[in-house]
Amino acid sequence: MDWFVQLLPHLVNGVALGLLFALLALGFMLIVGVMETINLAHGSLFALGMYAAVFLITPKLGWFPETQAAYLALPLGTRYAIALLIAPVLVGIFGMALELCLRRTYGKDPLYGLLLTFGAALVIEELIRVVWGSAERQLPVPESLSGAVLIGDLLYARYRFFAAGFACLMIGLLWLFLEKTPYGAIVKAGAHDSEMVRALGINLSRLRLFVFALGVGLAAIAGVVMAPIWGVRPQVGVDAVVPAFLIIVLGGVGSLWGAVTAGLLVGLAVGLTGAYASEWSLLSMYLLFIAVVTFRSRGLFGKKSVLDT
Amino acid sequence: MNDRRKLLKTSALAALGAGLYGVAPFYGPWKTNRAWAQSAQKKPLVIGLTMDSSGQYAASGADERLGAMMAIKEFNAKGGVLGRQVEAIHMDTETTPATGTRIAERMITRNDAAFLVGAVHSGVANAISQVAQKYGCVYLNTNSSSPTEAGKDCHRVKFVWDGNGTNFSHAIVKNAMKVNGKNWLLLTNDYVWGHTTSKATRAIIEANGGKVVDELLVPQNTRDFASYLLKIQQIKPDVVATAVGGDDIKALRQQVVQSKMNMKPAWINNQQDWPDVYGLGPDAIFGVFGTNWYWKLDLPGVKEFVAAYQKQYPGVAIQTPGNVYYNGYMATRELLRAVERVGTTNNLKVIPELENLKVSAKDRMQNFDAYMNPATHQLQQTIYMASYNDHPTEKDDIYKILAQVPPQEVEDKDAAGACKLEPLAATPSYEQ
Repeated sequence: MDWFVQLLPHLVNGVALGLLFALLALGFMLIVGVMETINLAHGSLFALGMYAAVFLITPKLGWFPETQAAYLALPLGTRYAIALLIAPVLVGIFGMALELCLRRTYGKDPLYGLLLTFGAALVIEELIRVVWGSAERQLPVPESLSGAVLIGDLLYARYRFFAAGFACLMIGLLWLFLEKTPYGAIVKAGAHDSEMVRALGINLSRLRLFVFALGVGLAAIAGVVMAPIWGVRPQVGVDAVVPAFLIIVLGGVGSLWGAVTAGLLVGLAVGLTGAYASEWSLLSMYLLFIAVVTFRSRGLFGKKSVLDT
Repeated sequence: MNDRRKLLKTSALAALGAGLYGVAPFYGPWKTNRAWAQSAQKKPLVIGLTMDSSGQYAASGADERLGAMMAIKEFNAKGGVLGRQVEAIHMDTETTPATGTRIAERMITRNDAAFLVGAVHSGVANAISQVAQKYGCVYLNTNSSSPTEAGKDCHRVKFVWDGNGTNFSHAIVKNAMKVNGKNWLLLTNDYVWGHTTSKATRAIIEANGGKVVDELLVPQNTRDFASYLLKIQQIKPDVVATAVGGDDIKALRQQVVQSKMNMKPAWINNQQDWPDVYGLGPDAIFGVFGTNWYWKLDLPGVKEFVAAYQKQYPGVAIQTPGNVYYNGYMATRELLRAVERVGTTNNLKVIPELENLKVSAKDRMQNFDAYMNPATHQLQQTIYMASYNDHPTEKDDIYKILAQVPPQEVEDKDAAGACKLEPLAATPSYEQ
């Protein structure tokens, strides 16, 4: 029983980490599943979300010092909530501009879309450097979310529990949107048969624009939530895009529950190996990926993806 | 009509081709030495800056680049070196050894770099130095501090300017054992610098009656340390000694603070690079760590050095220079001084000059004189032990220097045995 007591904190940690990984992959999953475009700029948009949050929490409005002072007088919790709501909207609008550029690649060799989003990733990273500089930045966390909680005789970061809970909320909201609203039905239909959707009189261009903005907004939300854990720096997007890509392929392209399950599996694999064979902790996700894809090339939930239901 | 058009097109293309051919000798790479021989102006002295702009050590790479550029600017302001203007070319080594190899090859064979300068990651430094040795090009490892760099991976053309993991361990570990206890846990970045640094730390712990209760390896680019922090709490060591660098240590520090583990256990970070800690905030700068320079050292020349940095780089995010910038600057300055002394860029003259280098404490803005170890090609220098400064006198005054240790006390005694320098006679002659 002693071994289980030792193991339990790492299982809890693995699940929390898995939920964060799933949150990271949601936007990527939506864009790949619905638009069949691999958005390599996902990581950079994740980073942009972090920086937008830094701006919204600690703005520097040189020409409007009084406005800045009045805004900074708001409680940190309020500013954090504003960042959580507004940063994804701002980055989503930026994503819309990117989708307009991406339109020329639809129906052509997928490499064009891949190259365009790769180029966009580089541009966004450099843009961040130009605007905010290359130094590390901090995203302040409200007092109520910071600090640690003592469970048993172990300390856990309180913010981590908040982040995992928030990831659950986002997964639930996205599921409700896709499954229980007429807009979600249109999004899924667009993924299933875009020509039929167009024939039914639905504006496909607008649908794609909306889905891309939503996916990018989700990347930004993940960025805001992960910022206090991973830190804010221009190149942080690279750390995000690789696991996000791996999770959506592992879960089955376009599958919401596939992404969630894959995120949890990756989180558990990384968390447990981190504790018991730490040198394998990053490699473990790739080994898991190879093991699953070897036997099930479409990923865990490949057949039950948004594309196929 | 058609024939006439064809003829016109062909003629136009031929004229264009001839024109390009005619002007071609006036352009092209530096290899066209004829053009320089005919001109009164001397060929610029090109220094290849092999520094990371991306990857784990992007921030430090940018910082050491500023240091090298500052030294170059100062020499150019005096009229250059040997009457030649010094030019810098920079290529991003991406914190990746394979990229380091490719860039070193390119700088030597295509850009006619006279010298190569720069590295933070030991794997990258090792890769660059292998290429440099093949051609005989003198290479300065500015900031990579794996003991192997001046040990088993040493080369005749390579000179190491930073203190290494063993130096820092000597400066910190014994004292920390007295203060904090004998049960240590090692948290080690899983690559050559982490391994060799932790090995040195382990040896000192065990030689002084301490015990390493566990060693956790941290793969490069780890962003989530929660499982490590839980494991540390379960093991309950007195001290955690980290050999974790770059963006990894930034993430670790933030997560340690979030878990309220910054006060207990005691934390020792072998070497703390300035760009990795700048801007993190007071809570995240916990524990005791090593450095080889600090901008508030009360020594002659430091204030002027800091002022020159702030004047030259007013818009940079890091507003005060740190150890990484300092190493980039010092290495480049000493190299160019050595070239001036020997009166040539020929490696067979420059190498012995650097091997016998001695720099006064005043000139290096450190507490003790520094000297190059000719057997390992590592600069022996003052090592400082520091912690967070509770009473800063100004904004970036975040370190409290606890002790300064002379180079003789922190010497890496195993390095000379491990280092087998190629004979100078077997090193190809190289001059640009």
